[in-house]
Formats: sequence, C-alpha cells, structure tokens
Amino acid sequence: MEGPSLPDYLRQQWVYIRPMVIEQIQLVIVTIVISAVIGVAVGALVWDRPRVSGAVQAVAGGLLTIPSLALLTLLQPATGLGWTTTIIALVVYAQLPIIRNTVTGLRGVDPGILQAASGMGMNGRRILVRIQLPLAWPVILAGLRVATMLVFGISAIAAYVSGPGLGNLVFTGLSRLGSVNATNQAVVGAFGIAILALAFDAAYVLIRRLTVSRGIRG
Amino acid sequence: MADTAVTIELEHLTKTYAGVAAPAVDDVSMTIPAGELVVFLGPSGCGKTTTMKMINRLIEPTSGVIRIGGEDVLGTDPVELRRRIGYVIQSIGLFPHMTIADNIASVPKMLGWPKARITGRVEELLTLVGLDPATFARRFPRQLSGGQQQRVGVARALAADPPVLLMDEPFGATDPITRLRLQREFRRLQQDLGKTVIFVTHDFDEALVLGDRIAVLAERSRIAQYAAPLALLANPADDYVRSFTGNSTHVRLLGILTADTAADPGVIGHGAEPELTTAATLRDVTELLLAGHATVAVLDQTGTRLGGADFTTVRRAVAAAQAQARPAEETDADADSDADADSVSDTEIPA
Repeated sequence: MEGPSLPDYLRQQWVYIRPMVIEQIQLVIVTIVISAVIGVAVGALVWDRPRVSGAVQAVAGGLLTIPSLALLTLLQPATGLGWTTTIIALVVYAQLPIIRNTVTGLRGVDPGILQAASGMGMNGRRILVRIQLPLAWPVILAGLRVATMLVFGISAIAAYVSGPGLGNLVFTGLSRLGSVNATNQAVVGAFGIAILALAFDAAYVLIRRLTVSRGIRG
Repeated sequence: MADTAVTIELEHLTKTYAGVAAPAVDDVSMTIPAGELVVFLGPSGCGKTTTMKMINRLIEPTSGVIRIGGEDVLGTDPVELRRRIGYVIQSIGLFPHMTIADNIASVPKMLGWPKARITGRVEELLTLVGLDPATFARRFPRQLSGGQQQRVGVARALAADPPVLLMDEPFGATDPITRLRLQREFRRLQQDLGKTVIFVTHDFDEALVLGDRIAVLAERSRIAQYAAPLALLANPADDYVRSFTGNSTHVRLLGILTADTAADPGVIGHGAEPELTTAATLRDVTELLLAGHATVAVLDQTGTRLGGADFTTVRRAVAAAQAQARPAEETDADADSDADADSVSDTEIPA
C-alpha cells in the first residue's frame, strides 16, 4: 500500500493531470460566459418589473436547491454524457447570483441619471447599454464572481456524467480508496479545484480594474 | 444666437393620471416669449415640474397643445425632440462613469457630429461655464464639487446649442453661497445666449434674481399670476401670490433693482465715498449706507460717476419702481384687501 508521495505522484502523472486542469479551466470559462449572457439578459429584461423579477429570482433560487446529482441524472437521458450535460447543469446553478446582481445593479442606478439621460434624448436601449449596464457592471461582476465560485464547487460532481475536469480525479480516487495513489488523486482533484478557484477569484480583481470605469471604481 | 430663440406656447395643457380624479395639471395656457427666462414658481406638488416635463414629453399630456417655435411638438418623435431641448435637473444626473468631456459630448455624439467639432464644442462650453478645459475635461464627475458639477450640467444641456432650456430646480441642492454664485453666473449666461428658458423653483428669491417673468403656480398648475418680478412684488394678484412675496417686498425690491436707479447727480459725495457699478443692486448700496457711509457713488462701465446714492434716493427708487409696476387704477388695491403687514411696511416708504 506504500504509494508514491504527493510530489512524486504529481511528477509521474502530470501528463494525465494536465489535460484535466485545462478542461477544468475551459469548463468554468465556457459556463460563466454562457451564464453571463443569459443571466444579464434575463436581469435586463425584468429589472424594472418587481413582480416578474421576484418570480424569476425565485425560480433561479429554486433550481439552485436541486441537488446537483439529481439534476445531472435528470438531464442525462436527454443530453447524454459529457460536456453538454455538465455545462447545462452548471449554467442553471450560476443563474441566481448573476440575475440577482444584475437586477440589483440596474435598480441601483440613480433615477436622476436615468431622467437626465432620457431628458437629453437617449432611447431606452441606448440608456441600458451606455448608462445602466456600465453603472451596474461592478455589481454584476460581483455576481459573476460568486457564480464562478459556485460553478467550481459543483463542477467536481460533473465527473458523474463523464464530464470534464478535475472532478474525475476526485471520483476515481474515492472509488479506489485504499489502493495506490487513491488518496493522491482525491487530494489533487479537490485541492486543484480549490487552487483554480482562488486563481479565478484573483483574476476578477484584475477584470474589475480593467472593465470598471475609473469614475465609479470605489 | 438670440436670433435662434423660439417662443413656447402652451394651450389648454392638461395631465390626468389614471385612477386620480383631479388632474395633476389643469388647463394651463401661457406663452413663454422667445429668449426670455420664465420661472415656474410654486410649492412642491403644485404641478410645476409636471408642466415642464410635458414640454419635452417626459410626461405625455392628456390633452392640450404645445408649440415650440410654432411647431406642434406633440406630433414629433419625443426622443428626437429632446435632443433639441436642453434639460437640467436638481440631481444634475451627470454620468459618473464618463469623463466631464464625454458627459458634455453626449447629445452632439447622438447627433453624429464629427469628432473635431465635438472636441471644440466641449472646450468652448467648459470655458463658457467658467471651468478650465485643460483641468476639467478628463476628470470624472465625482472629482468635482457640487457647484462645478452643476456648471457641467448646464454645459451638457447647452452642448448642441438647443434654442430651449428646461431647468428643474437646478441649483436647489447646492449650498447657499454656491447657489447665489451659480444664479448670478447663469443669469449673465442667459442674457448672452438668449435661450428661451423655463426654470422651475420653489425659491422666490431665486425667481426674482433669474426671471424675466415669473409664473406663480397654485395647485394643479393653475397660474395665479404671470408677471415680471417687479410687477409681482409691487402688485401681487391675490393672497396666494402674496404668500410668496411676503411682507418684505421692499427689501426684495432692493435685490432686483440696479444701483443706477438710485443714482442722483445732485447727491454729492464728501470725502471717501465707496463706489459701485451699475451691475450692483440697491441691496449692495443699502449695505454700504447701513455700514455708515453717507453716500455711495454709482459708476457706469467706463468709470464715470453717474451720481450718488443715499437713503433718500434709494427710497425714491423703490417707490418709483413700485409705482411704475402698478397699473394706475389698482394703486390702492393692496391697502383695501390687506390691512396689516403690507400697509404697515407701505407707510415706511413715501410713495
């Protein structure tokens, strides 16, 4: 039962681990981009109708309470194994923080600014794109950050439907517990996800710096 | 630019909100002459802002006609209409994520002006409102004081050189000293530009400083009186208007009459005599007299002494202004209808 140490394991198996790390990164980026497009669009459509936006957020919150294993199992007959099912499930989970923050951000824009904008002859779409979204962006970005952490956490379970990423290491390790490298696999899978999550979190600081106007950066 | 000024006509303008029996604005008809600054004066909730917002159609009238320069604006595209009307509000509403230059450039950009023209216009406007373009163009709104922000608000409204300016309590949120300075600056600006301006306020003193005419509005935007500041002070139409003018009408007159009205060549100064130009008001004159000076010299722009002012000439100037503003047949109307405060103060000044 004496297996290689963790550093030895990493050295020996890196050729197998590396693709999983890359998959993991791709999975989260693709998921967040799709989630952002959907979530921000939904938020922008409903923000000024309290009842509708309340209902939408309740639905998004409800979806979040479905256990991830259950959701993956439900999706699997329709969308099969692998990337598609994984991404659909993760996008569903990412919606609540994104929609909620989009609605909060758009609602938080000073009504005086909106009045000035329409008073000078901006139409609704222009106000949304040029004024509201840029002003709500720091709040939306905070929602994306939360969604990203959420997605990282849930993504490990995607291996259950043969999804991509480091979750596979965790699953393999746990199923082989007691055999050579089983603990190493589980540890690398779990900590790998955690380290990537922290790296993404740090990246958000940079994204914020690059995309939020200096005029509203706190 | 005065030749581009336009007249605004409101005819039977009414706004009724669904589910509310009484109209918010009830059958308002008035003409705002080209190039004049007309103040809508009234308490909160009287419908003055609603009336103003119908002119740029932020609020759609229920019925009535609005003509700007003869054109019926209710038949035009509201978004396109608003690009031709400058709009300044109390909260200013500068876009915090844009630089001062980009804020001012908003309407010219929508109108598709070439870049060079926009840059030139931004510099011109910043200079016009007393902000150095080199210092301020690249700053963000939060880096400016309230007074500076409001100047930018005015510059932004003027950007595409609209013939009409709508201003909704624009200086209401600034401190009293800044407000006074902004009012004076804007007054001068308005006299140079000759825009047709509608200015909403509940501050009577502000209305006196700025207005060519003042429309005193009562509930549902009913026009209690529509007159020049002097006429309003000298001859309030009813108790409602009097509730604004109060019982310090003479002191208020001092604030709007210029120093030259009290300049009398017959008043000779003795020794060190303080000097004021015709841009000063009788208020400034009185201040100096109360400070202990026997006379104040009033100079014209070239520095020539027009005459001296003392308490007697000030009193005479105020009385003359009142007499001039008051139609002859109504001279005694005040004394009949209101026997207390007004008549007491009337006795202090021989007419």
